[in-house]
Amino acid sequence: MTEGTVAAPVARRGPGPVVVTGAGVLSAYGRGTEALLSGVLSGRPAFGPVDRFDASNRRVRVAAVMPGSPDLLTEVARATREACDDAGLTAAERARSPLFLAIHGDPELARAPEPGQPGLGPDALTAEVANRGGLATHGLRCYMSACVAASTAIADAAASIARGQADRVVVAGGYLVDSDQFALFDAGRVLAADGQVRPFSANRRGLLLGDGVGAVVVESAQSARARRAPVLARLAGWGRAGDAYHPVQPHPEGRGMARAITAALQRAGLGPDGLGYVNAHGSGTAHSDPAETSALRLALGEAAGTVPVSSTKSLHGQVLEASGVLELIVTMLSAGQGILPVNAGFLGLDDECRLNLVLGEPLAATPEYAMSLNAAFGGANTALVVGLP
Amino acid sequence: MTTPVSLAAPGVLGLAELHAAATAAALSVTASGCWPETDADVEVTPLAGFIESAFSPLIAEVAGRVLRRRAAVVVAPDDAAEGGPELAATDGAVPDVAAEDGTVTAIVLVTALGDVTSAARVAAAVDAGKRVPPLLFFQSVPNAVAGYLAARWHLTGPVVCVSETGAAVDAAALLLDDADADEALIVRADLGVTGGARDRAAAILVTGPTGRPGIDLRERHEHPRHRPY
Repeated sequence: MTEGTVAAPVARRGPGPVVVTGAGVLSAYGRGTEALLSGVLSGRPAFGPVDRFDASNRRVRVAAVMPGSPDLLTEVARATREACDDAGLTAAERARSPLFLAIHGDPELARAPEPGQPGLGPDALTAEVANRGGLATHGLRCYMSACVAASTAIADAAASIARGQADRVVVAGGYLVDSDQFALFDAGRVLAADGQVRPFSANRRGLLLGDGVGAVVVESAQSARARRAPVLARLAGWGRAGDAYHPVQPHPEGRGMARAITAALQRAGLGPDGLGYVNAHGSGTAHSDPAETSALRLALGEAAGTVPVSSTKSLHGQVLEASGVLELIVTMLSAGQGILPVNAGFLGLDDECRLNLVLGEPLAATPEYAMSLNAAFGGANTALVVGLP
Repeated sequence: MTTPVSLAAPGVLGLAELHAAATAAALSVTASGCWPETDADVEVTPLAGFIESAFSPLIAEVAGRVLRRRAAVVVAPDDAAEGGPELAATDGAVPDVAAEDGTVTAIVLVTALGDVTSAARVAAAVDAGKRVPPLLFFQSVPNAVAGYLAARWHLTGPVVCVSETGAAVDAAALLLDDADADEALIVRADLGVTGGARDRAAAILVTGPTGRPGIDLRERHEHPRHRPY
């Protein structure tokens, strides 16, 4: 690691290999993995005017949304079933698979009368998704760690499986653009007033929200082999670390993210040169993109200047708690197809964000390993490394 | 002079729950604290930058109590084994400094409903067509106060938030086993949302048992059975 990085403990992991055997998704491009992949690889951002609720008194009125007003519980349950179908899980296998759900909470909670609030907790939502998917009734977890909620859930699932504590975990995450979060992000003045997300670019103006629901089946390689299940990707490494810098701003040098990347590479048994693609957090905000660039330089050294990088938030938007699972699916599917998605909205070089961005059109490449990065309020950072079959 | 609140008080019960879960997971509790803890715990101290809700201040308060006690022995092993919290009043006995010794501390927050006060405030403003106060954006997720704690106390480990104590302790145990952290600060906070219910919070600092098997990646090449896969 480059001098100057905060010393990190050397990561350990259990001995069992971990794989992903199924995926299900919803995004502004539509329902299903084919819609997501074709949308992302089209290079055309999915942003448009928001008409799901009255945004007329907001500073910015744009997001990446599906038509209509899809219901979060319904869509998370549908994506979860899609992932289990994709993995070829039988009813009996589903009934033994616990659910880790990444979600902000029940959308009804904030307007519920006080006596009804306890019944609208995230645990109840998680149990209902599990019930609708025929999943296990035990071992359920709900993660509410903002934009690293889903990636943290995936890391926990992988760590548990690697240690033999579970054979399989279904990890799902969901966020659908809603009036309350939209108002909050607008009030926080972080939404891009020019209607485009421009990660790592000069003149970037901020982020835009998006609809995102994703689910993956995380499984021990042994279990997948026993079922003769096709493998979408190996979950080779995972890492998470904190910045210890500020409640809502990243460390300017990306120290926490650098340690998360290092831990993920250690667990994958991989050097920096082994990565063939990075799906960056790339929020498109002023402070976050330079911090992430610094993190990549700290953790990868010279390889940070050569590995292809793109932030697909420039296409599907910021999907909050679901980011980690949606972007992992994008990473697995696109790298698996041998086509890396563009970093859309790029206007010009920012000296603080010098990376080998995929610009203009998708890049034909067949990386052996790819990494998905996420960061959140609280200085929370995650890195997931997948190996492509 | 303050006196401890009843052992049946919500904060103490929450702490007992955390102790019991940690003990069941074979974790060692090195410091603990809760709210309310004594009869002086009436109004939680406001936290700069966080408004209109006790949620984040509660978390900051109990976490601060635990972290100030981290160097003092406030939980005797027998108490921890029995799942009973020891509420020794040692605040101020330990220098109020951040950990600069290289110890990596994870933050694991637990809350059943989250900051329902802030969420209701946002919903009311949206429904009335009013402007949402910008500070509510920053406290709209529990990570923000975790970030405050991390910066204040130099806690450089992972930040996790889950909705149930057992999940939090399991997640913390895995972080310790896999060397993502040397210790974990587990904080449970719940606002009283039904008539008469009090806000409550509890926190423990835990370390893992030694010797749970896992691959030390530094030794991969020295142990043939642990070849890279």
